[in-house]
Amino acid sequence: MNSIQKTDFDVLVVGAGIAGLQTALDLGDQDYKVAIVEKDATIGGKMIRLSKVFPTLDCASCITTPKMAAAAHHDNITLFTYCDVNSLDRVGQTVTASVTQRPRYVDPDKCIGCRQCEYHCPVYVSDAEQGGFSATKAISIPFSNAIPQIAVMDVENCMLCGKCEKVCPTHAIDYFQEPQQFGITAKTAVLTTGFELTPVSNKHQYGMGEIPNVIDSMQMERLLAPHGPYNRVLRPSDGMEPDSIAYVQCAGSRDKSMGVSYCSRVCCMYAIKQTMLLSGSLPLADITVYYMDIRAFGKGYEQFYQNAKAMGIEFVKGKVAKINEGGNGGVELCYESQDGEGVVTANHDLVVLSLGMIPGWNPEGVCPVSADSDHFIKSIMPKLSPTLTDMEGVFAAGTAAGPKDIVDTITESGAAAVEAAKYMVALERSRKAAA
Amino acid sequence: MVDENKDKEKTLKHKVGVYICYCGGNISDHVDVEKVRERIEKQPEVAVARTNMFMCSDPGQEMIMEDLKNGTIDRVVVASCAPSLHETTFRGAISRAGGNPYIYEHANIREQVSWVHHGDKATDKAARLVSMAAAKAEQLKPLEPIRVEAKKHVTVIGGGIAGLRAAKDLADRGIEVVLLEKSPFIGGQLANLDRIAPTGDKAAELVSDLADQVLNDDSITVHTCSTVESFDGYVGSFKLGVKKQLTEMDQEKIKQLGAINEAAGKFIPFAGVYNGATPSVPDEFTFETGVIILATGFKSYIPYKGEYGFDEYEEVVTLPELIRSMAENKATGNLMEYNGRKIRSMALIHCVGSRQIPGIHPENEGGYLNEYCSRTCCSASLNASNIIRTSNPGTRIFEFYRDIRTYGRGQEELYEEAARNQVVFLRFEDDASPEVTRNTDQAGDFPLIVKVKDTLTFGEDVEAPVDLVVLATGVEPNNVSDLVEMMKLPVGTDRFLLEVHPKLRPVELPISGILLAGTCQAPMDVGEACNAAGAAAVKAAGLLGRGYVELDPFVAQVDLEKCKGNGECVEACLSDGALNLVEMEADGQTVKRAQVTPALCLGCGACVGVCPENAIEVAGWTLKQYEAMVDRIVAEEVAA
Repeated sequence: MNSIQKTDFDVLVVGAGIAGLQTALDLGDQDYKVAIVEKDATIGGKMIRLSKVFPTLDCASCITTPKMAAAAHHDNITLFTYCDVNSLDRVGQTVTASVTQRPRYVDPDKCIGCRQCEYHCPVYVSDAEQGGFSATKAISIPFSNAIPQIAVMDVENCMLCGKCEKVCPTHAIDYFQEPQQFGITAKTAVLTTGFELTPVSNKHQYGMGEIPNVIDSMQMERLLAPHGPYNRVLRPSDGMEPDSIAYVQCAGSRDKSMGVSYCSRVCCMYAIKQTMLLSGSLPLADITVYYMDIRAFGKGYEQFYQNAKAMGIEFVKGKVAKINEGGNGGVELCYESQDGEGVVTANHDLVVLSLGMIPGWNPEGVCPVSADSDHFIKSIMPKLSPTLTDMEGVFAAGTAAGPKDIVDTITESGAAAVEAAKYMVALERSRKAAA
Repeated sequence: MVDENKDKEKTLKHKVGVYICYCGGNISDHVDVEKVRERIEKQPEVAVARTNMFMCSDPGQEMIMEDLKNGTIDRVVVASCAPSLHETTFRGAISRAGGNPYIYEHANIREQVSWVHHGDKATDKAARLVSMAAAKAEQLKPLEPIRVEAKKHVTVIGGGIAGLRAAKDLADRGIEVVLLEKSPFIGGQLANLDRIAPTGDKAAELVSDLADQVLNDDSITVHTCSTVESFDGYVGSFKLGVKKQLTEMDQEKIKQLGAINEAAGKFIPFAGVYNGATPSVPDEFTFETGVIILATGFKSYIPYKGEYGFDEYEEVVTLPELIRSMAENKATGNLMEYNGRKIRSMALIHCVGSRQIPGIHPENEGGYLNEYCSRTCCSASLNASNIIRTSNPGTRIFEFYRDIRTYGRGQEELYEEAARNQVVFLRFEDDASPEVTRNTDQAGDFPLIVKVKDTLTFGEDVEAPVDLVVLATGVEPNNVSDLVEMMKLPVGTDRFLLEVHPKLRPVELPISGILLAGTCQAPMDVGEACNAAGAAAVKAAGLLGRGYVELDPFVAQVDLEKCKGNGECVEACLSDGALNLVEMEADGQTVKRAQVTPALCLGCGACVGVCPENAIEVAGWTLKQYEAMVDRIVAEEVAA
């Protein structure tokens, strides 16, 4: 990663998750010059943070890291990480973006990723990359397979002791680094701005994130990841190995009380995947999934679901109405039983909320592209050309344009790449005709 | 020990670097990776052995590149997952470090070790495989990829919505396209639908819109009534033989449609866009093409006789039949009519021919089960129910389902709307399908009764008397066994065509230059099929963009010093045209010698085995390399 030099490209891709990477690779392979702007300090998006992926149970890193490395080393692709897009507009036949490079307080040209700063930093902070279950330092490289391998300082928690500056062999620490503004111009843009989990903070029935041992599905991904916080699955409040684990499906999807009326498409499958992985690491644990409908609709998904049932995972139809703190660190779930017993309470050692997806980016005030009633970017031709937005020459792919699993995201990214390429061919033709 | 190693070093030409991956626990949970590293590092040819959490990550690749650049090593072995996943990743890293990508050997210690063995045995086997790879790597020679000219031309097989989308995308990208469709109509299965959920788009408009664009595009040649009869060649230069003829069935269909010639270029409901120009006599032609996109689509599941009363009671029909009837008979009376009968009450049964479970559902005629979800039927059923409840409010609807899968954008609203429209939902368990029986008690009233154990009302036995039973039939792949045979296409257990990897290479097949688009791969809705077609188009454009394609150089090589031209290799060759005897001058005499056409060679080695002179070898897999591998795998010390 070099400091900003070239800023004129064929394509601007906003977001370097799996959708952005695939779009950029597909366009770069056709010799278009691509810029990827990513708000995070590393590329890879949500996928690189997962443990394994359904229905093949490949480790997520095994699939994501080669695409990350391929994009990072591609002659036609330039990465801008830790950057915010302030505005994205079309001026004539050009897409222009104003971008802010946020300061890492580390010189990206000098940092060699040796981690000496991280090892010597005395300040421990909660590691969001590990679900908040373990600690990292106030200056660190996000995680072992992050790209680029450049340290980032957490200025909120740094106490300016100067140790990192002293140990850095390349004198890369720069306490006085300022945000840097720059512009990017391109012929076309692809929005691959991804998703965030539905916030649970506004669901008081589920404890608003305050009940111990009620965790979200991304946190469970970290517990299951082999390089996760504990290297095994433990209950966070007291380190107990849970004997009974429950999944609450549609926590943050198909739930108007949370403002999310749509289905998030992936939660059934990731929950099933997690239960399978859990029954591997905790063979004696009872695992129950409370669901409304199991939506295993993709290639090989239904068979995956039936396998989970055959493995002894219990599936209980019922929407969990309320979650309470139980005794001894346990959690109590209330739901209406389908067997006629009325409202039933069940106790579990650990409860996972299968949270849904909300858009990762709000274009309002930044880009004149329209969002749909579900707040994801609107597709103007959802049947024949799903990646077309209402902004000329601007396309959307992946979860920026509605919840989607990885397989559908990757194919849609290819479709967005072909739309962008077609747009540029047409642009070239009209320019030639005008000349 | 040190001296012994030094002795060996004299005879060794190369320094091998071995890189062993933890695969984030996928390997290291069962294989003691550090132990493998310790053992392998003692092998004489191994200059350095390292481990990493994820060798495919950037830091992992950097490690290899660093060792190559500073001369620590000049041959590379990575021990990780299957080579189909990451062989190209590591070859790429070697290239970036300035090395020849073929000085690389891959040891699969995940699929072949950690996923199938445990404990010490896993570690031992991993050590042997890695040692074997290192021994071979020491013997590897730099190779150059075979570069073949790529014709900027794509053939799309199938004129449904995915085929049309792919064809138009490629034409817009500046690539010549031939579109082959076996029927006289284009538009595929979409032409058999009416209003598409959840947007309400008219199928007729969607098909006409795209078909018009395709038919009016000068870079696209559309051949209807055409089937592929022969296949030959390789990526960049395939040869296809096509037969163009009107089948009797098609003739019949055209006759039924009446004044069809005036309709040329127009959309005919429940047929498609008629392309005119049907061949009066069969025609055959061949042409060359660079890439083939398969968009061979799906067919609707046909229930077996007696499945929910199908083919036994005339009042049992399929969802496609209902959709057609609704489109052709848009009466807005209080009651819907079907075949002239007023429908007071109707049952819609989900998952017919989908989500079949071994031991519960009977096998289909060919001895298979459709274990998959067909993805589109839930929304299509709810869409039909909502239309009926809105235009014929007197018709009551009961939907019998297992799970409602309205997953897509705007689909959940269909489900909510159906509830508001007072569609009655009854849910059954996998092993307790509803039963459809003739209503004998109340003859003359409702002809059929649907019985179910409804889990939404605590397992109550419910009977619904109905005038019509509609089966939400799923999708099945079209029968493309001729293409599968001809092109050696991989087919999954679900009988759909099988991609290389659902995430890494979702539209590619192992045969370079043949791609997948749409429902020949899996059930998809219209938007998803168009996305898949776009993804295939972008891959095709990427393959053909540079005017040439590079193939792996693992092909047969003839040692002209040894070859005596006896031709046994030509006899044994499995690929037509890959090996030939040609005349050439040697020592002033005209002799016959074997010659390889590299682009056609499969690298299978059949020729190697039969040559009495040992005059032919496969590059990258030579006999010497095999010997080194075999020696190592039977050696004592690695497993110690």
